[in-house]
Amino acid sequence: MRHLSDGTLRRIYDEPLALTAADQAHFDECPECKPRFNAIANEARTATTLLRVPAFEPQTHAALVAVRARIKREETARPPRWYERWLDRTSPRWRPMATPALAVLLAAVLLAGLGVSGVAQSLVRIFEPKQIVAVQVSPSDFAQTGTVLDYGQVKWLPEPPKLQQLTDAAAAQAQSGLPVLMPASLPKGVSGPVSYGVVSPATGSLTFDAARLQTSAAKAGVHVSPMPSTIDGSTLVVNGGPALIEVWGLSGTTEAANVPTLVIAQTRVPTVDSNGASTAQLEDYLLSQPGVPPDLAAQVRAIKDPSTTLPIPIPKGLATTESVQVNGTSGLLIKAVLGAGVVWVKNGVIYAVGGQLTPDQVLAIATSLQ
Amino acid sequence: MLQMEAWRPTVTRGPLSAINQRVPDPFERLFLQEYPKVVAIAYRVLADRPAAEDVAQEVFLKFHRSYPPDSERASGWLHSAAVHSALNVIRGERRRAQRETAHALDPARPAIANPERLVEEAEQRREVRRALSRLPQRTAAVLMLRHSGLSYAEIATSLRIKVGNVGTLLRRAEEALRKEVNRATPE
Repeated sequence: MRHLSDGTLRRIYDEPLALTAADQAHFDECPECKPRFNAIANEARTATTLLRVPAFEPQTHAALVAVRARIKREETARPPRWYERWLDRTSPRWRPMATPALAVLLAAVLLAGLGVSGVAQSLVRIFEPKQIVAVQVSPSDFAQTGTVLDYGQVKWLPEPPKLQQLTDAAAAQAQSGLPVLMPASLPKGVSGPVSYGVVSPATGSLTFDAARLQTSAAKAGVHVSPMPSTIDGSTLVVNGGPALIEVWGLSGTTEAANVPTLVIAQTRVPTVDSNGASTAQLEDYLLSQPGVPPDLAAQVRAIKDPSTTLPIPIPKGLATTESVQVNGTSGLLIKAVLGAGVVWVKNGVIYAVGGQLTPDQVLAIATSLQ
Repeated sequence: MLQMEAWRPTVTRGPLSAINQRVPDPFERLFLQEYPKVVAIAYRVLADRPAAEDVAQEVFLKFHRSYPPDSERASGWLHSAAVHSALNVIRGERRRAQRETAHALDPARPAIANPERLVEEAEQRREVRRALSRLPQRTAAVLMLRHSGLSYAEIATSLRIKVGNVGTLLRRAEEALRKEVNRATPE
């Protein structure tokens, strides 16, 4: 069978729903196209990191007023003389700049370009979710563990993820690089306008440090077993985001009306790379840490392929789950008293649709997104 | 079921249908629909807000002088003009910087960056824009249109290429950008 072209694989990264059924079937089965896709996706992430700009929301109406004023001036003014046209063309708009490249840039390139540049060959991808599974949690299990232990040094490149709120679809799409998805129709009770939230992509690293953990545990009065030598000194590199969240029902003028009725969220799957510890070693170690409830640990241990499965916590007794199909991809339908949600992973993107809706309504929206 | 067509805010056709009902003037309609995208493209290229707003205004003025606002190719023309005008600004900047450095003594580059992160990030953005200005025009245009959030169909319309070729050009462009940045970054 013919493999997918580089161009098609690149498009999957941006427009995961644009694949033809035949190409999707090939992609799902082909052991050669997957690694090629990963390399192309890494390159795309590097470019996103390099081309990142601070967020801003366009002032469309102010700009319209300015342009209208200029049009009016042009229409009433005499035609400009040749030297005026020349001056207009050559007027400097851009301040001079000439200073050196930075370690920050280099580090960002190295980290974001993992696997492409070949520089970080020691890093191995240990987590990249391709499917999801529900794990039951009791909210009370976590209430008692207020202690935060220091497992080692955490670094963010360039900074921790930030949430930005926008009202404009084009701006949200531009900021997130993800397509704004819309259902074919909306159920009764859900109405616009839509608010958008964009979470910036971020790269973070954690370098495990046994000595720091012992110190912080002693300070907090918590007993921790010694960190195994396979973990101590290992660095994990986490790549997350961007995420795009679309929210309906936030336009209410009263506090009571200000409850989202429908949320559509999408995020690129987070990945974790490690230069030492393996998935199994990390799972063993992290699940035996103080504060992790034993039945949660047992559920996570029961996951067959932990390096490609994302556990979704479901509060025990408050919601139930069942497996569903969303346009041929298996997903997890969550039914709660107040609403419903569905989560699925396709072509490297996690999608979630939820709200104060019935499970059928949520599924209808999920399958009609485009 | 409530039909969404009336206010569906998708990036291509959606807002226009909503704006159509309220705004009688065709230029204003076009402006309200396209300005956010045009300024986003210029901003992604320039990483400078006032400069991007200048470019976006110039693009709309130029369009107004030359074409009717209900022209079929209006969106594609605006996106294309935005990316090329903005790329011309950074190219002009590069040529100017080259002339200046040709006359200057070797400006001793400080080995250690200013510790303030804001300064570092601004510098990082400038460095990337310098690399961008060295890429071929079409390569840079595909790259920036995509990273400004345009869909593959919109990119194909703006640059008058086939949708099926966008992914291939984009992949090459991203590789070229990384190589150019790595080449410019001191070992």
